Amino acid sequence: MAAPIVIVRNVGAVARTVVRTSRALHKVDICGMYDRQAIFSQSWRLQTPATFHTASVFRSAPAITVIDEPDILYQKVEVLVKGHDKTVLDSYEFFATLAAKELGIGLGKVYEPPKHIEKLTVLKSVHIFKKHRVQYEMRTHYRCIELSRVTGSTVQVYLEYIQRNLPEGVAMEVTKTAIEKVPEHIQKPMWDDAPKEEQASQ
Amino acid sequence: MSASTMCTTALSFTRTNGLCLGNYALRLLNRTATYSTALSTNNGKGFPNRGIRGPRRPKRESGAPRTEKMPENQDWTAVYPSAAPFKPSAVPLPVRMGYPVNRGVPAEKKGNLELMKIPNFLHLTPAAIQKHCDALKPFCTEWPAGLDSDAAREEHFPIQVESKEFVSAGSSLRNPKTRVVTLRVKLSSLNLDEHARKKMVKLVGDRYCEETDTLTIVTENCPLRQQNYDYAMYLLTVLYHESWKTEVWEAEKTRADMEEYHWDDSRSQKNVLDTLRRMRVTSEGEEDPGAVREELLGQPEVQEYRESVTRLKNEGETEETMLQYREAVKKLLNV
Repeated sequence: MAAPIVIVRNVGAVARTVVRTSRALHKVDICGMYDRQAIFSQSWRLQTPATFHTASVFRSAPAITVIDEPDILYQKVEVLVKGHDKTVLDSYEFFATLAAKELGIGLGKVYEPPKHIEKLTVLKSVHIFKKHRVQYEMRTHYRCIELSRVTGSTVQVYLEYIQRNLPEGVAMEVTKTAIEKVPEHIQKPMWDDAPKEEQASQ
Repeated sequence: MSASTMCTTALSFTRTNGLCLGNYALRLLNRTATYSTALSTNNGKGFPNRGIRGPRRPKRESGAPRTEKMPENQDWTAVYPSAAPFKPSAVPLPVRMGYPVNRGVPAEKKGNLELMKIPNFLHLTPAAIQKHCDALKPFCTEWPAGLDSDAAREEHFPIQVESKEFVSAGSSLRNPKTRVVTLRVKLSSLNLDEHARKKMVKLVGDRYCEETDTLTIVTENCPLRQQNYDYAMYLLTVLYHESWKTEVWEAEKTRADMEEYHWDDSRSQKNVLDTLRRMRVTSEGEEDPGAVREELLGQPEVQEYRESVTRLKNEGETEETMLQYREAVKKLLNV
């Protein structure tokens, strides 16, 4: 039936994970341009094509809520997919790159690391005949897609979308590099604030 | 059942008499035994039309495949809304797949197992992807505009925390590499003075890279990623505060522990002073040694020599440093 069912299911799952804002950045001057809106709720509608029995399955869309917790920022997110079939990985790469472009995520390098072939040699016969063997090999092809400068909410949405559409027989490894400020307890040494304490250990 | 008892008696007969019948003979025996009971029964549902001898239900004609009814401007996302196997009657493409047997062509799509086995992306056409992304877009947030450059990012967010996640099919969801957390930070972005920086470098040892001025802490001791991250931050905090402390025994730092070469109070300085004193003493008489030393050290040639030796020891032997040293020595010895 309709595309709506799939989309509703996907988005319903995504909406359950919270959308976060980045309030911490308000303190920095140069980030003054970045100003998150106040908490809003938006009733969200799908553009349904004119199909027949939509009404019975279409349920009301969840509202988007914005939370005060600051968003995690990722300098780089590397998605490495592994599979036995190169053409499947080609198609998946096309899908992932198009999805990233549509969602407005900046793409870094998209490249193909060299394949890895694992070979093993076993005896051909059940009993004796040591000189006659048979060799098998398992080829693993790789594809790496790097996303640069993404926020935590976007990464969650993108990764969930990508992972739900991962084909059979393909594995994925995601390497996330988050960036953080220097925490307050490392701003200055604690010995300055507490001169009465013993400086030198006994 | 009489058929089965007949079979078993026949078998036991052969065994007890020591007759060795081959498989074929045994099967023949069994078949003849079952045929003699004639009637076939159908207890369960199974295949209702299997083994029927009399008139059977007429087979229903399958209609025209869906491909014939498809208009050109149809919505493909309605045909393949989600991942589904390849249906030859629903895909209007004349696709063939398989090895060309007898120098022929690859097999057609109807009933083609190869086409069904391979994962297809028919549900992920560009139109479908755009629809999905339009629906997902409200849940995405933008990257803050001020952090576009690397320098700005380095200035405000110097700490980088790296971790991995895995998606694969298997009997277990767990992957032990998930709990590894790598923390990277540049020492120049931390508030450290000279002594603290040197002490920090000594404390971490191999984890510090001089070329990139990066401290890398890899934690995998704890069972959960969150715990490993907390431990890494704890290690960073402890290192930072400990490096600001000056212990009593740090005063015993010898020349061998120094990270850089200092010319003052070194053998090179002693040798130079000795040489210059001997050069002078031949011309003059006894004088106060302290004042002589200060005077000698104050000379510009000695300063130049000091610069060149320090540079040579710290930066290594290159064309430039060697030439500078040569010039300094020539000036010092009036050659």
